[in-house]
Amino acid sequence: MQTRSLLYRIVAAATLAAAVLCAPRAALAVPSFARQTGMACEACHTVFPELTHFGRVFKANGYVLDNVKQVQDVNSKRDQLLELAQIPALSIMVQASYTQLKKPLPDLANVSIPGEAQNGTAAFPQQLSLFYAGKIAPHLGAFVQITYGNDSGTIGIDNTDLRFADTKLLPDAQTLTYGLSLNNNPTVTDLWNSTPAFGYPYAASNAVVSPLAGTQIDGALAQNVAGLSAYLYWNESLYAELGGYRSAQQGAANQLTGAAGPLDGSASNVISGVSPYWRVAYERNWGRHSLEVGAYGLDVKLFPGGSPGATVPLSGPVNRFRDVAEDFQYQYVADEHLFTFAGTRIHESMDLGASFAGGASANPSDDLTTTRLWATYYYRRQVGGTLQYFSTTGSTDTALYPGPTPGSAGVVTSASGSPDTRGWVAEVNYLPWLNTKISAQYTRYTKFNGGSSNYDGVGRSAGDNSAWYLLLWFAY
Amino acid sequence: MSARAELRHLLALIAGTFTCVALAGSAYADEPDAAAAAHARQLAVAVCGTCHGVQGNSQQPKFPRLAGQGASYLGAQLRNFRAQTRGDPDAISYMWGMASALNDETIDALAQYYTHQSAGRVPVRDAALVASGRSIYEKGLPDKGVPPCAGCHGSDAHGVADFPRLAGQHSQYILKQLASFQSNMRNVAAMHGVAVNLRTPEMEAVAAYLQGLP
Repeated sequence: MQTRSLLYRIVAAATLAAAVLCAPRAALAVPSFARQTGMACEACHTVFPELTHFGRVFKANGYVLDNVKQVQDVNSKRDQLLELAQIPALSIMVQASYTQLKKPLPDLANVSIPGEAQNGTAAFPQQLSLFYAGKIAPHLGAFVQITYGNDSGTIGIDNTDLRFADTKLLPDAQTLTYGLSLNNNPTVTDLWNSTPAFGYPYAASNAVVSPLAGTQIDGALAQNVAGLSAYLYWNESLYAELGGYRSAQQGAANQLTGAAGPLDGSASNVISGVSPYWRVAYERNWGRHSLEVGAYGLDVKLFPGGSPGATVPLSGPVNRFRDVAEDFQYQYVADEHLFTFAGTRIHESMDLGASFAGGASANPSDDLTTTRLWATYYYRRQVGGTLQYFSTTGSTDTALYPGPTPGSAGVVTSASGSPDTRGWVAEVNYLPWLNTKISAQYTRYTKFNGGSSNYDGVGRSAGDNSAWYLLLWFAY
Repeated sequence: MSARAELRHLLALIAGTFTCVALAGSAYADEPDAAAAAHARQLAVAVCGTCHGVQGNSQQPKFPRLAGQGASYLGAQLRNFRAQTRGDPDAISYMWGMASALNDETIDALAQYYTHQSAGRVPVRDAALVASGRSIYEKGLPDKGVPPCAGCHGSDAHGVADFPRLAGQHSQYILKQLASFQSNMRNVAAMHGVAVNLRTPEMEAVAAYLQGLP
C-alpha cells in the first residue's frame, strides 16, 4: 500500500508537471490571414490576438474568406473541385523574452543556500512557431501551429483548429453559420477572448513558478487531446457549440508494440471514453460597442494511469472533473481609443475516486474555482496596457497539494495543502507596427499555493514568485 | 386605308416596337442577371454585412451605410478600391483587400443590391446643431465660398446621378470623409474645394443634419 501510495504521489506530481508544461501557449494573430484577405490586422483584431467582431465572424466561417487569386478546378457542371490560393497561408511567429523573479530560486545542487540559481532568464527564442493559417478548400480552413519552445528544446504541435463551415441566408436577411471543428484544445475553437485558450494573458513567461492548481479546461488538456465539435452561429449573435474530446497524447508509445498507440498503463491522465465540451454565448453589437455573455464547460473522466516503468492499468476507478464556467467580454472599438473589459469564472467539481483510493488525494472530492478579470486599453492601437486580477481557490487537500518532504527545496509545494493563489498582472505594450509588440509585464502574487508567507513550508513567500517579464513578440 | 397609309402605319409600328425594345434594353442594361444577383446577395449578407449590416444599414459608425446608395456611386467606389485609388485610411485597411478580387459583374450586382435596400437613419438629438447643419447644407457658406451641398447631392440628400446619397449616413463617417477630402487623402478635387473651407464645427453640424435625414 505504501508503494502504491508513493506511485500515486509520483503520478500526481507528473500530472501537475504535465499541467504546467501544457499550460496554454501564446495565442496570436496570423499575418497569413491578412495576406489572404488583403485586409489589415485591425479588421480582425483590436490589437493582436484579441478579436474584433469581424475577426470572430472570419473564424466562425472557417478562415476561408479570401481575396487572392486562386488555382481552381471545376467539373463539367462547374462544381468547384479545388480552390487553392496562389500564396500559401504560411506565417512565422517569434517570441524573445527576459524573466526576472523577485527572489531567485534555490539551486537543487545545494538547497540550503537560498537563491542560488541564476536569476534572470533570457529566452531566445522563448517560442518560434510556424503556421499554416488560412483556406484549404472552399469551405475548409485551418489554423495549424507548430512550435519550437526553449523549455522543451523540441518542436511540437501547438494549437490546431481545422474547420469546415458555411453560412446560409435565412428569411428576413438573417444568417446561420454552421461548422465543424477538429482541434486539440478545449476552447481553442471559441470566438471570444474571455475563454482559456485565447484568453489573457496572451503571452506569459515559461521561466516562472506556476501554482499547483488549475482546472482541466484551463489548459491542462491542451495539445494532448483530439476533439470534434459542431457549432451554430445565428445572426452573428447567438452561438452554440457541442463537442467531445479524447486523449491524443503526443510522444506516447504503446509499451508492447512501441507503436504510437493504443495508450496503455504507462500513460497518465488518459481520458476515459469521450469528454463532452459545450459552449453557449450571446453577443450584441451596437455602435462601437460589443458585449458578449456566455457559459462553457467540460466533463472529463481521467484514468490516473502510471508512467513508463510504473504502469497502472487503464481500467477501474477514474477521477472525474466537471468544469462549468461563465464569461463575458465588453469591447469599445474606435480609431483613437480601444477598451476591453473581460473575465471568466471556472468552477471545477472533482470526484477523485481513483486518487483517493490510492492516497494521491486526501479527500474523495474537491473543488476549485478560478476567476480572472481584466481591462485593456489602447491608444490608436499603438500604446496600451492591461491590468488583470486572478484568483484560484479550492478545497484544502494535503495529498493533492502536498507540503515539502524533509530536505526538499519547497517552491512548488504547499505547507497548508491549500491551492489558493491570488494576484495581479500589469502589462504595458508598445506596437511600432501592428504585427510587432514590445511588452513589459509584471505579475504580483499576494497568495501562492495557500499562503502569503512561507507558503511552501521552506520559507518562501508568495511575493517572491512575483516576476518581471519583458517580451518582444512579432509575426510575419 | 390606302396601301401607302398602310405602309406608313406598319413602319411606324415597327419603329415604335424597336424603340420600346431598345428603351427596355437600356433600362435593364445595368441590372445583374439572376446568378450574379444571387451571388451578390450572398456576399452582401454573409461578408459585407458583418461591417455594413446585412441590408446595408450598418450599426457601427466606422462603416458607412450603403442602403439606398446610388448604384453608379457604389460601383465607382468599389472600382476605386480595387484599383487602390481611393486613399482614405479605412479604404486602405479594409476595402483595398476586400475589393481586390471583385469582377465588374459582381461589383455591379452588389451596387444593385444596396441601391434597392431601404435606407434607415439614426436620430440626432441636438436640434441646434441640426438646424445649423441644415442651413449649411441648403445655403452653403457664401462668405467662405462654400456652395450649398444640396446643389449636387439633392435637396433631400438622396444623391443625384453620380453624387452620393448622404441622408441617414453616420455623422462620424461623414466627418471622416470630409477630413479625408480636406487633407486630400481621399483625392476628389470638387470635394477638396468644398471641405478645405470648412471648420470642424461646421462639418459636425452638417454631418449631424445628414445623419438624421430619412
